[in-house]
Amino acid sequence: MNDMTPYILYSLFAAGAVAVYFRMPRAGESKLGVGAIFGIASLVGLLAVLHTRIAAPVDSRWYFYLFSTIAIAAAARVVTHPRPIWSAMYFILVVIAVAALLVLFGAEFVAIAVVIIYAGAILVTYLFVIMLAQQSGSPMYDRRAREPFAAVVAGFLITGVIAGKIAESPPALPSGVAQASDMILADSANAPELGNTLAIGNMVMTRYVVALEIAGALLLISMIGAIALSRKNVPSEAFDGSAMPLGQLGKEVDPY
Amino acid sequence: MPGATEYIIVGAILFALGAVGFLTRRNLIVMFLSTEVMFQGVVVNVVAFARFHHNLQGQAFALFLLVIAAVEAGLALGMIMLLFKRKRTLDVDVWSMMRG
Repeated sequence: MNDMTPYILYSLFAAGAVAVYFRMPRAGESKLGVGAIFGIASLVGLLAVLHTRIAAPVDSRWYFYLFSTIAIAAAARVVTHPRPIWSAMYFILVVIAVAALLVLFGAEFVAIAVVIIYAGAILVTYLFVIMLAQQSGSPMYDRRAREPFAAVVAGFLITGVIAGKIAESPPALPSGVAQASDMILADSANAPELGNTLAIGNMVMTRYVVALEIAGALLLISMIGAIALSRKNVPSEAFDGSAMPLGQLGKEVDPY
Repeated sequence: MPGATEYIIVGAILFALGAVGFLTRRNLIVMFLSTEVMFQGVVVNVVAFARFHHNLQGQAFALFLLVIAAVEAGLALGMIMLLFKRKRTLDVDVWSMMRG
């Protein structure tokens, strides 16, 4: 890792920003091929930089490359795909790839929780709403992105600031942190019999038990709120009478 | 075991992609899917820092992040259904009068 690494990362992020910009749904003729070329080039370049300059030389880094590539490419498709149902499918891919990354990093319980909660519960809810509320065909608001250039510049700045700074000066442990009292890891030598799940359970049920109770209360409140919202009767202000009533879409139009 | 730097870079990229999607897409559902992508980037980041500091606080924090994500998804989708019932469209620009 030397002084050039942040600038290489900046140029790769710029290429990725160009790719996302060209892949956005837009009016007029689209340049999807240009976007794909820029996207593949920036991903390959990112992998090369990670491999040669940043990543620690361990065996599991090949899995890290594989799953981070899947996660980034699928996330790009989530935000650029013109059909919401495909966005949801690509988001499942993001979730699974992120779960694999978490397993690589020794967070098995969080990985399983992410798969169960996101892919199992949240995504199913999203798919229900997409099926229920999707209009027939491909409506105009899915085929036109709003201010794609400004948004892509904003995303480039966010990534550049975070990743460039991290690559420029990698985080260093403050002294004494390694001796923290709750240094319980599944593979640490002083607690080999404790699994990751058991350790997290111990921690959440003792040290963070108040936060756990508050989280439970928050879930209850949001459940009550969601029920109250969905039972509310609202008048329809539809602009034309052509829209089909709720739940009738799949009966007349093939939902993809 | 990979180091923390590359994980933070991947998390930053996921977060920025989600932010771009939230800013550009006009479909309410896809906007909230983009916020879920941002959540994934944050989860990768906190777990990377947990590994880096050799403790489990980041993983416990990731669990609470999942709770917040579930709460957000439930309430947001309920509200999206209300808005859709009223206007029969998922276009967020229909509600631009709420800018005031």
